[in-house]
Amino acid sequence: MVPYGHVLILSTILFFMGAGCALARRNLIMILVGVEIMLNAAGIGFVGASLRWGELAGQGFVLFIMAVAASEVAVGLALIIFVRRHTGSMNADKYRLLKG
Amino acid sequence: MKAILFLLIIFPLAGATLNGLFGRRLPRKIVEIIACAALLCSLLMATAAIINMGGGTFNFVLFQWFQAGDLSVAMDIHYDALAAIMALMVTFVASIIHFYSVSFMRNDTDYVRYFCYLNLFVFSMLVIALADSLVFVYLGWEGVGFCSYALIGFWYGDPVKATAGKKAFIMTRMGDIGFGVAVAVLFAHFGTFSITHINPLAATLSTGSATLLTLLFLFAAVGKSAQLPLTTWLPDAMAGPTPVSALIHAATMVTAGVYLLMRLFPVVQQSPQGMLVIAGVGAVTAFYASLSALAQRDIKRVLAYSTISQVGYMILAVGVGDMVGGMFHLLSHAFFKALLFLCAGCVIQALADEHDIFKMGNLDRHLPGVFWLMLVGALCLSAFPTLGGYFSKDRILLSTFIQPGIAYKVCWALGMSAAFLTALYTFRMFFIAFLKRPDGKKASEMHQIPRFLVIILIPLAIVALCDGLLNLPFGVGKRWLGHFLFSVPGAVVDVRASTDLFLGMGILSASLSLSGIALAWFLYRRPQEAREKGWRAVLFSAFYLDTAYRYWIVQPYRWAATLLWRQIDEKHLDANIEGFGISFNAASLMMRVWSTGRLSTYLKAFLVGLAGLLCLLVGRVTLW
Repeated sequence: MVPYGHVLILSTILFFMGAGCALARRNLIMILVGVEIMLNAAGIGFVGASLRWGELAGQGFVLFIMAVAASEVAVGLALIIFVRRHTGSMNADKYRLLKG
Repeated sequence: MKAILFLLIIFPLAGATLNGLFGRRLPRKIVEIIACAALLCSLLMATAAIINMGGGTFNFVLFQWFQAGDLSVAMDIHYDALAAIMALMVTFVASIIHFYSVSFMRNDTDYVRYFCYLNLFVFSMLVIALADSLVFVYLGWEGVGFCSYALIGFWYGDPVKATAGKKAFIMTRMGDIGFGVAVAVLFAHFGTFSITHINPLAATLSTGSATLLTLLFLFAAVGKSAQLPLTTWLPDAMAGPTPVSALIHAATMVTAGVYLLMRLFPVVQQSPQGMLVIAGVGAVTAFYASLSALAQRDIKRVLAYSTISQVGYMILAVGVGDMVGGMFHLLSHAFFKALLFLCAGCVIQALADEHDIFKMGNLDRHLPGVFWLMLVGALCLSAFPTLGGYFSKDRILLSTFIQPGIAYKVCWALGMSAAFLTALYTFRMFFIAFLKRPDGKKASEMHQIPRFLVIILIPLAIVALCDGLLNLPFGVGKRWLGHFLFSVPGAVVDVRASTDLFLGMGILSASLSLSGIALAWFLYRRPQEAREKGWRAVLFSAFYLDTAYRYWIVQPYRWAATLLWRQIDEKHLDANIEGFGISFNAASLMMRVWSTGRLSTYLKAFLVGLAGLLCLLVGRVTLW
């Protein structure tokens, strides 16, 4: 049986890797990948907690997170395709229309 | 009876609504037929109502208007002898003027708007004549004011005419304030707006509040009826089309003030001081306006001043408590003044919009029909013996003379002099405009006018000639109008004067009128082109009343308004508020640095914020 502390450490490492990816990369796809990694890191934490205390609720949450992540990716990818067609670029820092 | 009265009011409104909504899509003939038919039906209903009334009074609620707590206002009708006469007169004169307008406005393209307003005006006037609740009266009161404004400025492309409309509206609004306050005071006293309920209770008013109410209602009447000190709008109102002047500014609307005082006569009667003020205002205005009329050049302005002067007589009649005399004069004035205005309209059209009487002349040969009709009107106006205007004016002056007190004698003297001046200025206008003279108009300068324009005036002229029969002081049908109005509270059938006084007064006013005509014959048979100098200039400008208002009221007001606008508002209020905005702008400039528009910056800031919040949670720091 893996101790819960190890699971949490893995989840934290994954979360920061995802955050680093989302921050450091300029490519929109990679940012999206980073966000996915962060979400799944949180999911691992939930699954570990569910095992540790014998509660099903944690696993239920993970199912919800997966559904949300899937729909988020669907919408996000559609947006990216549209933006790409519109501007011809995938670089997030090129989209500066919101600058006042 | 209820149906008849309802239809009487509703026909002109229906005509106005139909023409207002669909008039532009209908052919011209249909629009004219709708407008005239509405009035004819209304006239028919007014006649039916007066036949069916049988000496009684009728009160109906048409429908509830609004209600709030104790306050309940209904659209209701109080139909008595006074209202019956007024409604019949209004619908009759208005019908003739509608027919005349069809011909008069034949070249105007904006006929839909014209007929819509004209019908709406008649509706509002009938509301004033018939309404029971004072709030409903107020609706009509404002309605006629609005239609008057819209029709004076009918040719709004000309700024002078548009301004004249505004002037009339604003000056009559001043009187309306008096009306509004008076209605509020009455409600505070009696808790009701209904004339039927107020009049029997009028005796319970204290003298002080009765005087206050009388003065407020007088002020309302002064505004609407163009009496001193609010006379100046009426001469300018002549900018409107001539049938409008005939209907609104001669026959009906300007008498609404007098009618209101008669309608509330039991209230007015409670205050002797108030009555004296009313009589004084009427007599002074009658004299003042007849003097002013003496030097006018514009044919319509002569008639406008004579209207002010004649309405002054009616106000005087109310002030001396002779309601029957006032109503009699109101009726005869409505007929002959409408006739005079409509004749003036014919003359103006035949001379291609020429208003100056000194540029007329020779019209007796070119326009014989108009000449005779105008002569009838002029004789009535100058109170030629045996005509209606003579009997009514004579009765008012007699009632004034028998009032006790020197003040009423002064009023009588003013009225008598005004009667003489009336004959003088009327025939001055008539002789200068119509008689043969070498520098007058030639036949080649005349424009063709439709025969219908003259023919439609014949019934009006017949009524103007014969309306003296309504209240003859002797003979068959003696004092018919007086007996008819007997049921109206405050009406006196007979003037209580001895036969000698009665005859003496009749002979005196007859001789004054005849000598006025004779003097006009000597002075103006061969008119000289008059220069507006000396006393003529004073009279021409109506004693500089307009100029005085401009200097003492308009200029200081404008000065104060400019001060508030330029100094207080722009320099202080606006500057402060703008400074507030500028400081916000400066503050936001500092924040702008953060808004780079780069997604990565925002994400970084978001994560740093999140981390900060988590740190706070770990440290168990509570933010609130």
